[in-house]
Amino acid sequence: MPFAEDIGAATIDGLAYVGGLARLTGGAARAVFAAPLGGRKLKWTRAVHQAMSVGVEAIPIVSLISFFVGTILALQGAYELRRLGALQLVASAVAISMTRELGPLMTAIVVIGRSGSAFAAEIGTMKVNEEIDALETMALEPINFLVAPKFLAMLLMMPCLTTWADFMGVLGGGLFGVTNAGFTWGTYMNATLSALVLRDIMTGLVKSVMFGLVITAVGCQEGFATGLGSEQVGRSTTSAVVKSIFMVIAVDLVFTAIFYFTAPQ
Amino acid sequence: MPSGKESGAPNDPAIAVRNLRVQYGQREILHGINFEAQAGETLVILGGSGSGKSTLLRTLVGLEKPSGGELWIRGKNFASMPENERKDLRKKMGMSFQGGALFGSMTVGENVALPLREHTPLDESTIEIVMRLKLDQVGLSGFEDYMPAQLSGGMKKRAAIARALAMDPEILFFDEPSAGLDPIIAAGIDELILKLKKAFRITILVVTHELASAFLIADRMILLDKGHIVANETPESIQKSREPRVRQFLDRIPEPEVAGEIDYLQMLTGESPPLRR
Amino acid sequence: MQITTRQFESATIVDVVGDITLYNTPEVRKMLLNLLKEKRVKRVIVNLEKVKYIDSAGVASLVEGLKVSREMKSGFALFGLSRMTREVLELTRLLKVFEVYETEAEALLGGSSPTGA
Repeated sequence: MPFAEDIGAATIDGLAYVGGLARLTGGAARAVFAAPLGGRKLKWTRAVHQAMSVGVEAIPIVSLISFFVGTILALQGAYELRRLGALQLVASAVAISMTRELGPLMTAIVVIGRSGSAFAAEIGTMKVNEEIDALETMALEPINFLVAPKFLAMLLMMPCLTTWADFMGVLGGGLFGVTNAGFTWGTYMNATLSALVLRDIMTGLVKSVMFGLVITAVGCQEGFATGLGSEQVGRSTTSAVVKSIFMVIAVDLVFTAIFYFTAPQ
Repeated sequence: MPSGKESGAPNDPAIAVRNLRVQYGQREILHGINFEAQAGETLVILGGSGSGKSTLLRTLVGLEKPSGGELWIRGKNFASMPENERKDLRKKMGMSFQGGALFGSMTVGENVALPLREHTPLDESTIEIVMRLKLDQVGLSGFEDYMPAQLSGGMKKRAAIARALAMDPEILFFDEPSAGLDPIIAAGIDELILKLKKAFRITILVVTHELASAFLIADRMILLDKGHIVANETPESIQKSREPRVRQFLDRIPEPEVAGEIDYLQMLTGESPPLRR
Repeated sequence: MQITTRQFESATIVDVVGDITLYNTPEVRKMLLNLLKEKRVKRVIVNLEKVKYIDSAGVASLVEGLKVSREMKSGFALFGLSRMTREVLELTRLLKVFEVYETEAEALLGGSSPTGA
């Protein structure tokens, strides 16, 4: 049965891939958290540098995209709510979908495009130029040296970016609310705040942290898997983006389900 | 055979290779190599492309795992030692890669200073002085703030040598140190190798196919051919060698063409495997 | 490695015993900088008779000592170089940069009439 064999082989490959991601994440976690105890130096300057490029430099594009998404949500929501005569609910619809789902997800997509691909390209180029080999001959572990600062930067920046994206999305929804649904900026913000509970924001932030881990692990893994030749770097970069998007959506599904079934009724 | 001996004594060879085999997948590249390099000796490994000399070098610095045999560095079994011991040993080894392998995101100075910053408790001012000393030794004074991308191929190579020297290694490995350099700079690198040997008593292992440079720097030469050692002699005696593979390499005689017309036809039509090495 | 100091008239002699390598060179550096910057001694003479080997990091401490001595307008000299130490300084082109003497007596004399080496 070649078809069943193919499925089996694909499943094993998939599990091995996820296993590789877990090993990378575990190694980086050891470098980040156990390193000070073991006396090894983790270069905070490198983590700060990464945090700047992952987080701070992404603010303009994340702001713009989440503002637009907020407006789109308001328009789509209003289309249905208007027929029910419940246009005033548009504020809470935007607030809940942004914080629980689209804030973290849109941020993740932007970060994949900007940083996940950059991680794969950076490590892939280093692999092709024998720089990874050079690190090893200098008794520097690539995981400590390259991967750990990236994880640290992601863990810090993803929740920050997501919170900012939530806020910009609410503003985007507010633009519609104020111009078309009879809100003022003040009443729109009040409606938003009364619609949200802490749990909404927290579930979004937990997701964003998980997305950050996935994006870093996939980006670095694809970088290390780069073959010989510089054209392979492009292949790794593309593959990092595609696999990260898939993995982020899969993780999103799992966590959304967990949050749904554990939610207080 | 230094069997069972775990601690290094001063008279241990710097490198001892016993029946070393390395394979990539199914293909064996090195078929049981034996040699030693004494401390302070400069050993040149010669061989054409595909001879396995690069694989041998990568195995010696621990980038490839041997599939058989033993590798002893300073009297310690390099393949079987615990990871932290291997790391300590690596700090005493320097490797200069063929293309330089400089870190593109760091300046030349940061590249050279990196091992010192990561592995030693030295003060920053000391590290900077050592970094400038090393750059001066390879003729790159004043280039510490350049990015690797701004350097020519030869300069990259020299910067890589400076980085390999940063920790004052006891064993230095060079992969094709003068390939692709203009003759004056290549001669400068040969001279640097000779000076290092004299001042620091470093064990030096050079992989190259440049004969002139090899005869200048070598205390002993090893000629590799298709994964076997065909000569392991002093430069004087290798020049007098009558062994056909040695003569072929030294006298630069090209490979003979495929024997008969039948073989040739089979090769062209794909009926016989092209590589029968 | 051991490092001690003694005073001879206006000169401070630093006796180093053992190899100077990257593991102990911070001690040498600290001693030299302390003498020159804090104690403001007139002339520092480093005795290298008992130093068989000095690595690049060791050389770097001597270079920093020399640099600071120039800033403080103090003297800085070396004497008793072993063959290997001499070769290392030669390789790094520093033999002519330092004030180098054969013996302690010469180094002490050299301070009053600075002729170099």
